[in-house]
Amino acid sequence: MKPPASASWKAPLKFRMPTAENLVPIRLDIEVDGQRYKDSFTWNPYDPDSEVVMFAKRTVKDLKLAPGFIPQIVQSIQSQLADFRSYEGQDMYAGDKIVPIKLDLRVNHTVIRDQFLWDLNNFESDPEEFSRTLCKDLGIEDPEVGPAIAFAIREQLYEIAIQNVTSARENRINKKGRRGAEHFPLSKAGGAALDLMKLFNFRSSVVRKRKEWDYYKPILDLLSNEDVDALEAKEERSGR
Amino acid sequence: MDSSIRHDPNPESVRPDEPELDLYTIPSYSSWFAWNDIHETERQALKEFFEGSSISRTPKIYKEYRDFIINKYREDPTRRLTFTEIRKSLIGDVTLLHKVFLFLETWGLINFVAPPRPREGPDNDDRVRVEYGAPNGVRVVATPNSLRPLSAPVVKGKSGDNGVAENGVKLPPLASYSDVFGDLKRLRCGNCGDNCNSEYYEHSKDNFIVCVKCFKSRNFGENKSVDDFKLKDCGGNSAIYGAVWTEEETLLLLDSVLKHGDDWDLVAQNVKTKSKLDCITKLIELPFGESLIDSAKGRGNSSGPSMNINSAKPVLVPSSEHRENIINEDQGYDGTNENEQNGDSENQEPPLKKKCTTSTSDADSSLMKQVALISTMVGPQITAAAAEAAVAVLSDEMSCPREIFDGDQIDVTNGLLSPTLIYQPERAHNDEELEMKARSSPSESQETSQKKNDVPLPLRIRAAVATGLGAAAAHAKLLAEQEEREIEHLVATIIETQLKKLQSKIKHCEDAELLMEKEYAAIEELKEYILGERINILQRTFSVGISKLRELSSVQSKTGNLS
Repeated sequence: MKPPASASWKAPLKFRMPTAENLVPIRLDIEVDGQRYKDSFTWNPYDPDSEVVMFAKRTVKDLKLAPGFIPQIVQSIQSQLADFRSYEGQDMYAGDKIVPIKLDLRVNHTVIRDQFLWDLNNFESDPEEFSRTLCKDLGIEDPEVGPAIAFAIREQLYEIAIQNVTSARENRINKKGRRGAEHFPLSKAGGAALDLMKLFNFRSSVVRKRKEWDYYKPILDLLSNEDVDALEAKEERSGR
Repeated sequence: MDSSIRHDPNPESVRPDEPELDLYTIPSYSSWFAWNDIHETERQALKEFFEGSSISRTPKIYKEYRDFIINKYREDPTRRLTFTEIRKSLIGDVTLLHKVFLFLETWGLINFVAPPRPREGPDNDDRVRVEYGAPNGVRVVATPNSLRPLSAPVVKGKSGDNGVAENGVKLPPLASYSDVFGDLKRLRCGNCGDNCNSEYYEHSKDNFIVCVKCFKSRNFGENKSVDDFKLKDCGGNSAIYGAVWTEEETLLLLDSVLKHGDDWDLVAQNVKTKSKLDCITKLIELPFGESLIDSAKGRGNSSGPSMNINSAKPVLVPSSEHRENIINEDQGYDGTNENEQNGDSENQEPPLKKKCTTSTSDADSSLMKQVALISTMVGPQITAAAAEAAVAVLSDEMSCPREIFDGDQIDVTNGLLSPTLIYQPERAHNDEELEMKARSSPSESQETSQKKNDVPLPLRIRAAVATGLGAAAAHAKLLAEQEEREIEHLVATIIETQLKKLQSKIKHCEDAELLMEKEYAAIEELKEYILGERINILQRTFSVGISKLRELSSVQSKTGNLS
């Protein structure tokens, strides 16, 4: 079967998260008066801005933080949202791109490391569903792990999407200088994309070699309390 | 890649000369599945692979995915294959892979005989931290109305103690509390300093309170006379302080009442252990207590003022209103008839009420008022009929002539006479009813005009009561009849509906039967047809076979001949 030549080139799309739901990953890391608030969650950019203030107030109340947090939280969220929106109008190059997504995170007592492929072109993709399946298959009971995984995925996708935008811009500029270059090298933009031509061609199989299986399977670790404490201390020291 | 895995779950069924067969169960709705083909179902469900939209999604790739997953599952059909297991081995977008995986799972091509996924429910519950005790915001208090000073609020953390902790909020004394218990404010006797528990005597002119004991001993200091004091009861507390009556005491009480009638002093003396108030209270509580009192007094009434039906109502209402101003009473009465009769009514009513000058909280829902209400609920004719009946019964009971109720004219003097006659027995306990004397003048002025009648008040009142009750009874009977009619009607409706239901069921069964018969006939036909065909075929085979045989035999015979 001959892959059609035009299959590798797609018309540039408008920027959006390549997932079923266009949600923005928001990360907060605020310190006020010796209290440190770290959080990460997804936000719906179509919510009205008044929601941000309400959310900040509620969070501060629920977590019993100092009221000085509220303006900082609001500001942080809003700036991240603004970033997101600034990309929105622009073109994003979303050709055939399957990128590897890596997970390496610790949530409470669970450490998870994983690697898998994600198709940026697949706008039905749902990080939450993926993480749900993952947690179910691995039998993870901690309910905080699922959302953390989904968030990590989203964040990476977001990064890549942003890179796509910038690359699309570059390419456009370049295109003006270079006529006739229809075929955009896939390896551009992020540099993490796989060479689909190599992988999915007629001759090679889609099944991985066995020795590679271990790279692509999730590794789950459950830590004890002391390990958790040690890790947290280390993180704090290095994170400052 | 295809069924290269050979493992036979059924060793017995293998015959050595046949290749080993793999037995895998898939649901019947997946029978379209074939290893070497891609079925339309797959094309529909997983369009992405068949649109040629991307190099990474081709039918070939799909087939590889599918075959790999199914084989992976069949390595061990009894264990449940998870998505995570296969996605590590396959190159491609995980979302798409997941879609393929789900597709195969829904169609039962994988995980069909595997044990179902363990339910999440109980696990999740275990993860929920169960806290015992009330949530932090709520505190369990032993006595809800306690006004103990409340301690500082909440301790954080799990509340294991359901014990007597107090609210974190200090509440002001509630208004309802003071309403109920406010009267309990201890009244102290001005003289001896004792607490006045149930009754005390209050000076009418200034706010001087004297306990019962002091009053009896006339110990209230200078410038106060016996006349000025009024007996006061502490609201509804008399009920609280109700004493316990044993049977002997009750018997004694009844005896004494019958003997002494209204003379509560004597009655109390007889019963010994109970005070006057208690006696009277108890007597009222007894179902026939009132009639005892009345009968003790009602003897010897001869004059008969008229008994107007319409007057029954007005009499009832005002009489209850004036309950507080107790009043009544004898000698002070040279006033009008109304006053007297009013006072009379008060008098004849449960004597306790004479002493009760406080609010009408008890007396308000008194019998008279209720009867008045009841009689207002029915029409006048009913009331009239009820009154008639009541009167008849009463006269039988009291064995006094009916006519006393009939007269329309009232002789004022006559009227005057009778009340005084009636009042005679009461003189006996005048000394106690000082307050009434004292208040007789004020209460006189408070009287509203009443109808005159000479019927002895006890009788009249009884008649009125009976009227009201009779009216209510008639009304009730009417309602009951109506209800019955309704019930009958409804029952009839129910029966009708049931019948209809049964009929439709029968019809349904008949229809089904008809269908069955038709089917049976059709099957019979089919049977015959098949039989016919069979015969045909046999005929044909025979016809063929016979010729062959013939040939054979002819050949044989030829060869036989030859050889």
